[in-house]
Amino acid sequence: MLTPLNFIEKLLDASNEFAVRTTIAKNQFLIREGQIEMNLYYIETGAVRVFRLTEFEEQTIRFGYRGSFINSLYSFFKNSPSELYIETIRRTTVKILPKEIILKLAYETHESLIQYCQLLENLVTQQIEREIDLLTDSPSERLQRVLSRSPELFQEIPLKYIASYLRMSPETLSRVRNS
Amino acid sequence: MAKVAEATETAQSFKTLSAEKLNFKQNQDAWSILECIEHLNLYGDFYLPEIEARILSQKPDSHTEIFKSGLIGNYFANLMVAGNGKIKKMKSPKDKNPANSSLTLSTIERFLKQMNKLSLLLQQSARINLTKTKTSISISKHIKLRLGDTFRFLIYHIERHILQAKRNR
Repeated sequence: MLTPLNFIEKLLDASNEFAVRTTIAKNQFLIREGQIEMNLYYIETGAVRVFRLTEFEEQTIRFGYRGSFINSLYSFFKNSPSELYIETIRRTTVKILPKEIILKLAYETHESLIQYCQLLENLVTQQIEREIDLLTDSPSERLQRVLSRSPELFQEIPLKYIASYLRMSPETLSRVRNS
Repeated sequence: MAKVAEATETAQSFKTLSAEKLNFKQNQDAWSILECIEHLNLYGDFYLPEIEARILSQKPDSHTEIFKSGLIGNYFANLMVAGNGKIKKMKSPKDKNPANSSLTLSTIERFLKQMNKLSLLLQQSARINLTKTKTSISISKHIKLRLGDTFRFLIYHIERHILQAKRNR
């Protein structure tokens, strides 16, 4: 029997079998503040952004596009109301994988548990990367860090959301990008 | 306080409306419900931080007198009053015009967060002098209003556009 190399492949296999596929129009929400996250979403086509809403702005903190898995992670782990929104940036096709299936896959065998741990290690690493992003003073350096992680970002995501993700105005982003 | 609670309640009720209803315009130049709300958000973006900064920089005043309206402040506040549910049409400054921006349910939720903030500021302001504390206004650098008048202006303005939004319901 061929065993998947990592947990992501396992999730992909599972989403072919168990996930509900649906297509969502632009500017709709996969989850809103206050709801509890019960799913993991796999983006087949389109793009989404994760943001936190304050009195004054929508702070974009993450993106998902073709080939990404995404959800409101804290709520998913803690079963607590989500502090985040996930909104489609354009028409998007997602596969929706329920939490029970993911946990079942993770705890199935000793091997799957190790793979699940590796995925979590990756996630922690990404969070630290992001934390360093936010602590980086220079706007151009922030942009460089993100581009080296996701070179295709500008092809997938409108500039105004990237600017919000990088904590700069759209004007600053254009200037930094062109220099 | 009561007016802020009322606006909050109305905005809550908007959340149950369909997307078509929220974006519906009576005619090309009129605003949809979401546009009315976003217009208020744009004002909140200016006034809430401004009011908060002024409150924080004031010493608490134990013997607060009754607020006295200023000449200009009173004029602006009364300009916003919607008498008997009627509103006189006015033109908005360009930078506060929300028409045709992309708006969703989060517009309403942002407004609810702002109303929450406004209630907190009203509570905090109970211990400072509303006549002597001055705040800047969004349309001119040269005019400052008494904090009490700014609150009156802001809240009448909210009432006005909530009323306008309700007509589309």
